[in-house]
Amino acid sequence: MDKQPITLTINGREYNILVAGHHTLLQVMRDQLDLTEVKYGCGRGECGACSVLVDDENEPSGRKVVDSCLILAATMDGRKITTSRGLGESGKPNVVQQAFVDESGIQCGFCTPGMVVKSTALLERNPKATEDEIRFGLEGNICRCTGYVKIVDSVKKAQKAINKKKK
Amino acid sequence: MTTSVVGKRIPKVDSMDKALGTAEYAGDIRMKGMLYGKIIRSLEYAHARVKSIDFKEAEKVPGVVKCLGPDDVTQNGYNTTIMKLLVPEAFNEVFGEISEMYVFNKHVKHQGDAVCGIIAENEEIAERAAEKVKIKYEPLPVYLTAEQSKQPDAVQFTPLKPGNLAGEFDPSFFPGKAYGWPDPETDKWGDDLEPECDVVVSDEFYLNKVKQCQMENNCAVALYDTRGRLNCWSSTQMPKPVQVLLADLFDLPLSRMRYITTIVGGAFGARLGMVCEPHACAMAMAVPGRPVKVEMTREEDWIASETRFPGDYKMKMGFKKDGTPVFVDAHFTGYKGGYYTHGNGPIFCAAAFVHGMYKWQTMRMKGDSYFTNQSPVGAFRGYGNPQTSFVQEQLIDVACEKLGLDSVEWRKKWHKTIGDETWLKGVTYASDDLNGCIDIAAEQFKWYQKKKKYAKQKGPKRRGIGMAVMNHTSGAWPMLLEHTVCTAKLNEDCTIELMQSVSDLGTGGHTAIVQMAADTLGWPLEDIHLKTGDSDVNGFDIGAHASRTVYCGGPATIEACESVKKQLLERASQLLEARVEDLEMDSKKIISVKGNPSKSIDARQIAKQGVYNFFDAASGKQIGIPGQIQGYSSFLANHCSPPMGATFSEVEVDVETGEVKLIELVNAHDIGKAIHPPSVEGQLEGGAQQGLGQVLTEDMLYDEEGHCLNSDFTDYKMLGPSDMPKAKIILVETAPDPIGPMGAKSCGESALMGPIGSVANAIADATGLRFVEAPITPERILRKIKENGITYE
Repeated sequence: MDKQPITLTINGREYNILVAGHHTLLQVMRDQLDLTEVKYGCGRGECGACSVLVDDENEPSGRKVVDSCLILAATMDGRKITTSRGLGESGKPNVVQQAFVDESGIQCGFCTPGMVVKSTALLERNPKATEDEIRFGLEGNICRCTGYVKIVDSVKKAQKAINKKKK
Repeated sequence: MTTSVVGKRIPKVDSMDKALGTAEYAGDIRMKGMLYGKIIRSLEYAHARVKSIDFKEAEKVPGVVKCLGPDDVTQNGYNTTIMKLLVPEAFNEVFGEISEMYVFNKHVKHQGDAVCGIIAENEEIAERAAEKVKIKYEPLPVYLTAEQSKQPDAVQFTPLKPGNLAGEFDPSFFPGKAYGWPDPETDKWGDDLEPECDVVVSDEFYLNKVKQCQMENNCAVALYDTRGRLNCWSSTQMPKPVQVLLADLFDLPLSRMRYITTIVGGAFGARLGMVCEPHACAMAMAVPGRPVKVEMTREEDWIASETRFPGDYKMKMGFKKDGTPVFVDAHFTGYKGGYYTHGNGPIFCAAAFVHGMYKWQTMRMKGDSYFTNQSPVGAFRGYGNPQTSFVQEQLIDVACEKLGLDSVEWRKKWHKTIGDETWLKGVTYASDDLNGCIDIAAEQFKWYQKKKKYAKQKGPKRRGIGMAVMNHTSGAWPMLLEHTVCTAKLNEDCTIELMQSVSDLGTGGHTAIVQMAADTLGWPLEDIHLKTGDSDVNGFDIGAHASRTVYCGGPATIEACESVKKQLLERASQLLEARVEDLEMDSKKIISVKGNPSKSIDARQIAKQGVYNFFDAASGKQIGIPGQIQGYSSFLANHCSPPMGATFSEVEVDVETGEVKLIELVNAHDIGKAIHPPSVEGQLEGGAQQGLGQVLTEDMLYDEEGHCLNSDFTDYKMLGPSDMPKAKIILVETAPDPIGPMGAKSCGESALMGPIGSVANAIADATGLRFVEAPITPERILRKIKENGITYE
């Protein structure tokens, strides 16, 4: 099988790697690069557990959320990618991660890295999102534990913290 | 001086790792030299015999290490379930299960049944090789209902269960093959009492096949190491029982079977026992020294692992005209799926929670199940109780309407309470504030205001309101074994290593255990670390099922920590020359004589000198008291403190499209004492999402050949964030339980029931029609409106 050289910048680190043409970004991140915070939940873009941020100049924030299971890694040459571990690290979680912890928006935690990525993007795109807009914005990321109540509370808490910081 | 953490809204002990993404789940395990195992499943046939397997082409694929057929692995049978460990040997026949499953099967009993396996250098090679395996099948007739598989000429699923009758209530335990009791005065029971009733209601219901849909697919890693030990890593709910089952399956003593639990990515009953652990271990045994990982795809997880128990559920109730409940008579016929998993458990529980709810003069409930060519059934949050909610709570409303009684008031008057028998005969309620739950929930929901407001509606969109109550359990004593061992090791710096086997399924159970330990000792939370999930260090524990983690793990924790405290005080008593009862310990770990704080000793000094114990060079005397302190508890429960709860729901039904919109849900739960309130709320909020899905959208569908039609998140509709109603959870703590740890009752499964019964009742309120098939989909609503020729103004 032919492999193709690509460069990915993930969480600020540059990876020069050979990828198989048919491998998804999710497969490459998990199996080649050990970035296991990106989760396999369905492999068909239904659950959002593999959500990552990818740079996109059309977005005001400069990045957007994608399901990494739906993208071939070979098409991502030169792109900047951020996962939950790129958003925060031990002792320095980002405001969304901290809010998920504070509001108990986490149960089994399997959807959480994707949920954190999705919520971060949602608030970057629409810092004034209403509750309905937050709920609609989270569609595509499935959680089976929380009934979404405390996830929405977490996003609202993060939103408050972000807007307070801005003032 | 002591700072209590029980009842506080602290962050969970394990949540930061999960937020960052550093938490390691089974699928995240990477090991040196790790191989990948692929289970080859029967996807084309739901019922067939395997005639031959040809690995020739598959073996030629570079990177394939081994191909394994049914004869290449252990020939011992097993059952994914752990029921046989939970009941005495003599009862296993009645309550337990049979070992009729094999690692690889020659008689395929459902789509997704495992037939053979490939071990390869990586996942992709294993998958490519799997495509080259040639399997010849002899197709057999496919049975999708109990009616089909009970026919006399039907192919037998197992010789151990003649007539494909998987289970029924055994007359040796259940006279008349029914759970309940005859009327003490007349000895009549069930509908024998019908002539004596003024109002009788009955109906026949169908309950759906619902999937747990935990977000982490099942995955197991196994290694048969060079010392002859089999090691297995996975995310089970039941670490110790799985260790025992695997040891049995591979004829190993427990000393050579190590089981390690990884973080559990959701379970809800789906991991109550083994899933792909037998396959990973069988493959690992075939390649000693190399770890093998088996990771199921979402589709595999869906069609090959257990689901909720579907089936036909009939119920009849009789009442006196003043509302006095006379009899309930019911019969649940379950569609068992391909294997006898979970014995008769879910059917018994469907009956048990009828038993625990209302003050019937007599009750009779029968239950049986027949094999079908569908994925096996097993545990799913609620375990028979959600089925009962759909049936019983609708019929109570129907009856109240006929009786001309307010259904809320009827429930308040006739539900069981302190002194009445719970779900199990002979075990009585020790605490109850269901009426408190009903009152506060009705008030916050504005039940009576809404009743008036929605009395005369016009137009296609109709609001409806409904309510339901429920009883559940905290652990499964005395039906099942309830045993938890906890060891509290006092480190030399006076911090605690708490060792207990139990998994945290995301419920917050581990946080609650640490909180209870901290409060028992009066020490800061940070000084306690909970070590779980390694059979090499953890003592016995049944696992996380039956809403038992806090209820049974709590007392074990408290006992072990009390023992540590007692030992510290005893040593202090010797060193201070004071009586133990005169001593107290503060949150800074200073032990002093009450009323004489100057006479004190630091517990840290006792802990340190217990470990680093030396002799004084000058005097030759021993400094301090030798020996590392450990607290220990081998706790066996002596009750099941059933919690109760009340749920009120509001829906809007579009009678032109059949669409049901969820408007509001208020759930009040008789928790006794919430150890970690956000976790209790989280259980109730998350349970609601599953209950609402069960009543409205979720159902596994099969075509005539037994192929599952919706084994994915697109075609199997769970409620998403914008589908969920405004939810209000109320924790009622007015009735602390006299038996539960610190007053706590359970909450793990409780939240699923109320939403089911209350939404079914709300839809009936909105449409004027009763729906007896779950889920109540738009199609079913429109069909029923049409069938009944109803036009709405």
